[in-house]
Amino acid sequence: MESAEDWLVESLRLYQDFHAFNLSGATQVLEWMGDKGILVAGYESLKKNEILHLILPLRLSVKENQGLFPERDFKVRHGGFSDRSVFALKHVPDTRLLVTSGLPGCYLQVWQVAEDTDVIKAVSTIDVHETEGSLWSKVAIFSSAAPGVLHGVRLSSLKVVDLESQKTTYTSGVGDSELLSSLQVLDADTFAFCCTSGRLGLVDTRQKGLQGAQEGACSPVISLAPAVKVAHRKAPGFDGMVQVYDVTSWDGMQGRVDPLFTHRGHIFLDDNGADTAPLVTTHTWHPDKPRTLLSAASDASLHVWDWVDLRASC
Amino acid sequence: MPEIRVTPLGAGQDVGRSCILVSIGGKNVMLDCGMHMGFSDDRRFPDFSYITRNGRLTDFLDCVIISHFHLDHCGALPYFSEMVGYDGPIYMTQPTQAICPILLEDYRKIAVDKKGEANFFTSQMIKDCMKKVVAVHLHQTVQVDDELEIKAYYAGHVLGAAMFQIKVGSESVVYTGDYNMTPDRHLGAAWIDKCRPNLLITESTYATTIRDSKRCRERDFLKKVHETVERGGKVLIPVFALGRAQELCILLETFWERMDLKAPIYFSTGLTEKANHYYKLFIPWTNQKIRKTFVQRNMFEFKHIKAFDRAFADSPGPMVVFATPGMLHAGQSLQIFRKWAGSERNMVIMPGYCVQGTVGHKILSGQRKLEMEGRQVLEVKMQVEYMSFSAHADAKGIMQLVGQAEPENVLLVHGEAKKMEFLKQKIEQEFRVSCYMPANGETVTLSTSPSIPVGISLGLLKREMAQGLLPDAKKPRLLHGTLIMKDSNFRLVSSEQALKELGLSEHQLRFTCRVHLHDTRKEQETALRVYSHLKSVLKDHCVQHLPDGSVTVESILIQAAAHSEDPSTKVLLVSWTYQDEELGSYLTSLLKKGLPQAS
Repeated sequence: MESAEDWLVESLRLYQDFHAFNLSGATQVLEWMGDKGILVAGYESLKKNEILHLILPLRLSVKENQGLFPERDFKVRHGGFSDRSVFALKHVPDTRLLVTSGLPGCYLQVWQVAEDTDVIKAVSTIDVHETEGSLWSKVAIFSSAAPGVLHGVRLSSLKVVDLESQKTTYTSGVGDSELLSSLQVLDADTFAFCCTSGRLGLVDTRQKGLQGAQEGACSPVISLAPAVKVAHRKAPGFDGMVQVYDVTSWDGMQGRVDPLFTHRGHIFLDDNGADTAPLVTTHTWHPDKPRTLLSAASDASLHVWDWVDLRASC
Repeated sequence: MPEIRVTPLGAGQDVGRSCILVSIGGKNVMLDCGMHMGFSDDRRFPDFSYITRNGRLTDFLDCVIISHFHLDHCGALPYFSEMVGYDGPIYMTQPTQAICPILLEDYRKIAVDKKGEANFFTSQMIKDCMKKVVAVHLHQTVQVDDELEIKAYYAGHVLGAAMFQIKVGSESVVYTGDYNMTPDRHLGAAWIDKCRPNLLITESTYATTIRDSKRCRERDFLKKVHETVERGGKVLIPVFALGRAQELCILLETFWERMDLKAPIYFSTGLTEKANHYYKLFIPWTNQKIRKTFVQRNMFEFKHIKAFDRAFADSPGPMVVFATPGMLHAGQSLQIFRKWAGSERNMVIMPGYCVQGTVGHKILSGQRKLEMEGRQVLEVKMQVEYMSFSAHADAKGIMQLVGQAEPENVLLVHGEAKKMEFLKQKIEQEFRVSCYMPANGETVTLSTSPSIPVGISLGLLKREMAQGLLPDAKKPRLLHGTLIMKDSNFRLVSSEQALKELGLSEHQLRFTCRVHLHDTRKEQETALRVYSHLKSVLKDHCVQHLPDGSVTVESILIQAAAHSEDPSTKVLLVSWTYQDEELGSYLTSLLKKGLPQAS
């Protein structure tokens, strides 16, 4: 493909490192397990989906002398089968447990990643008590000695459930039935929620209901890079791309802001030849490398890229 | 019960020593005979004691097959044939036959001269070993003996690499060796027909790997080379004569042309000499594109790549040089390395594995100070890059190959079944096959049910059809005939036809049984009673009373006689031919029950 060749030549200038992989099935989740492994999961309906624990190639995980490590391939370290589509997956820190949310069926599935074999096994479920069959729960994890699972489909159904005892430790207690689009745990007692309407809130779980919630506006697909004040946003209408913005330079003026970098790899390296370009489904930042991102698309591609900060090269 | 047995040889679970023993249809075949490059002691060899236990190697093994020239597939061959003692045939493709001895000799030199190893095979042993080699062509069926045949398929991966089908009768095994399913710039992709083997043997590591795309590997190479020449540095790329060098040259040529770059690219004379020597071997093994481009020309004729001269190494300014040998252990590449190592602006790119003891191995381990001859210390300031360009299949690739060959079972080597439950389940589900993962030294036994085709004579078939019932797969029927095996041909014919064909005369077999009855009347009356009785009971059969007093039921003859000593007892003589055994037995038991009382 000519444009793929062109893009690749361009990429020499745009990226420090670039890796492109093809998973056996597209994923909507990219969750870290430790700093050397990531978890992906399929979301096809009417089919057995795979949940995979992939170990980063040495070239992407070593901190020094990268040039002496030729290994560039992911290794499938663990795998499991899910009868349902997986739309969200969270690793419970300091454990070998995972929590997934999907359809059909309104419950969360808890999995265990085995130590001595390559199996990811379903071990228990968490009821969600949601009556609408086509909606799936958003999930976040309160990590502590007794981890809690924060989940909900609507503001009214927000709950925190103790993972081991399955007892509910928090409920929002509000009647507001706005649909949630994402949840993010901030510390042991607070979390942020984002609604599909764009409404953003912060909640303190020590207080009943949504008291302590502050209103703002959010776009559902922001992620913040660890340790660096750069944000990433997938804009609607630019669904085949991943864009990086520097929020430190925003001064509150909501005029047009240009992205620092745009990753178009998923569009140009699409080998499927389909008429529609693939959609980026999810992305995540590398925990140690400040400019390295992983992005996945609907054509089952997975990219790992380290963009060049062109401002700094002058 | 016919079975196929597979045993991967060697200790430990490490990848890096391929050697698999297969028993099929009474034949024993060794697939590959590799060396583990990481060990310096006997752990580098496969564990041959498994075979040598069985007595004389050459009697036990029918043949050895080598898939390609990489040392982890052929490195132990001279040891096995000349030191352990195997005298039988060794099969491999022509390029493998040509390149193997060169790599073996290189390796031997490094092991003995650089590392001072004892008990290593000699140059003469390599030569003697290669004398046992029989070269095979792609898709050519080779008869190892009357029953065992093998066939090579294109595997991609490296020049001359092949996948092998081993067949005895209707049972077969396919061994993939190393292969890849995506073509690269100088080799095509592996291909096999729908041969439906009982078993496909391949690497477990492929199934658990998700590979970075070829484009990204190339991109990394181009980026490193480009950045180095842009800052005025020199790039040294040590290569073995063929294969990878070709691939990288084509890549750079394309890039230089596109970017209109001016820095010179050279390849050393060692390369050109060998290149023309292998030219004829190379062409049938490359992909279509290469063949079209290079069929008329010297395959190292590039626009931007020129022949190297020693003096150029001292020229100022950026340049890229491909030089042999590949592990920096001697010759031109080492000379150039020594000149360029002292500058941070320069770079050396190692495109392959380097054996312990070589300079290549040392710098790839991170060593920055090297002790050269005369106790001179060389400080390595140049950038060292280790890049992997070898083409291997991945999980997706295995699926494609299995889809092409359609095996009944899949066996993965270099993996542990206990640790790979998910993988096993995934393969079994996806391909609807059984998946085996033996550890080294462990034997997997597969039961097979080979179908043996038998031709039925028309006459016999017509006779069966005349009985009125059509053949039904769900209701097996018993068919009487004679099986004639001649010249690997099986035919089922009627007995008469068989007798005629074989010139034999038929024997008649007749059984006679005595039944004692209490009857005071004369024999003739007893006979009549028998006749009446049988006539009324056996409505479906032809029962006759002959003038001489005997009774017949079909071919069965019943005669009544008086008992020699007891006049009140009558003896019925029942006799029949073996064809009427069933009826004869039935009649006998019927008569033993006695006759109904006459009114």
